[in-house]
Amino acid sequence: MRAKNPGTETSSGDPERSDELFARLPDPAARDELAALYQPLAEYLARRFYGRGEPLEDLIQVASIGLIKAIDRFDPERGVKFSTYATATVVGELKRHFRDKGWALRVPRRLQEAGMSVGRAVTDLSQELGRAPTVNEIARRTGLSEEEVLEAMETAQAYTASSLDAPTDEEGATEGERLGEEEDAFEFLEGWTSVAPAIRELPKRERTILYLRFFRGLTQTQIAEELGISQMHVSRLLSRTLEELRRSVGDTG
Amino acid sequence: MTPDVKLVVPAKPDYVRVLRAVTASLAARLEFTYDRIEDLRLAISEACATLLALPWEATTLVLRISAADGRVTAVVCTDADPGADAWPPVEAERTLAWRVLSGLADTAVFEVGEEGPAVRLEVEGGVVV
Repeated sequence: MRAKNPGTETSSGDPERSDELFARLPDPAARDELAALYQPLAEYLARRFYGRGEPLEDLIQVASIGLIKAIDRFDPERGVKFSTYATATVVGELKRHFRDKGWALRVPRRLQEAGMSVGRAVTDLSQELGRAPTVNEIARRTGLSEEEVLEAMETAQAYTASSLDAPTDEEGATEGERLGEEEDAFEFLEGWTSVAPAIRELPKRERTILYLRFFRGLTQTQIAEELGISQMHVSRLLSRTLEELRRSVGDTG
Repeated sequence: MTPDVKLVVPAKPDYVRVLRAVTASLAARLEFTYDRIEDLRLAISEACATLLALPWEATTLVLRISAADGRVTAVVCTDADPGADAWPPVEAERTLAWRVLSGLADTAVFEVGEEGPAVRLEVEGGVVV
């Protein structure tokens, strides 16, 4: 939708014209003109949410819906400028859109903290029990509900925390030995020409995790122990590695 | 067999997360361990990705889960129509997807489901109480 009034240069509409139009509501023509007048504001706000995995077109659509809601609900008597009111409504609509899609704009602090305490509990309980704990056991240890534990697990897989992605240079004692085995195992994969290059390009640690999980059949807990990193970190690296492999196979095949 | 849960979502990657969350939640209720839930979750992602990457157009993605005796059986299916003999792949066991799936699940089978191409996954809980 383009502004019907190309003379309007400001992104927040023309205040006088907008006062006139609000006075004429609910006249549909006035409503349309208001929507056109403030469309640049909606597009501007939509652009601020771009780059989080949603197409710009969709965001503009959502922002436009928010703008219409703002026009319909705005009460000029309240003494708030419409552009202020519209900004809040449109941003609210955009945020809700992301929430409805199941994506948080960023990991809320509550979830970050839950993630850390779940990670700690998994490590501690695995050692105490000699096996991976159940969700119920993690919940009891952390004081979180089972749903919160599951949510924290999902969050850990869905988001990559950059601080955890710093490469580690620790060379385990079994490293050399394992590299030999790894080469053999991946030799077997060479036949799958579409996959081999992608696997060869993986960082060493990701390759090792892939090998330990799928060729030696170790569990995530065992891998975490062997590499000296947390289970959650193994889980995150594994899910990302699989995603990367899928993407590269899709590209070449 | 009637599944305990049947979920129908659009055949789009955005919805895979929903299927994953529901499966994990059910497995938690069965006292699955952390490791097995993570495996199951990855397996669902991998199965969905495999099906959604097929060249035949699909509009819906269906997940059926049965849970009993410490075992979760999840069947992911799309309504794509590959025509006769195009699915399951002849050398399914040589694909990376199958290798990964069979590493994560106790049983992974590419099969023809109720709506179309499907992946069946069976995962045991892994906890001895």
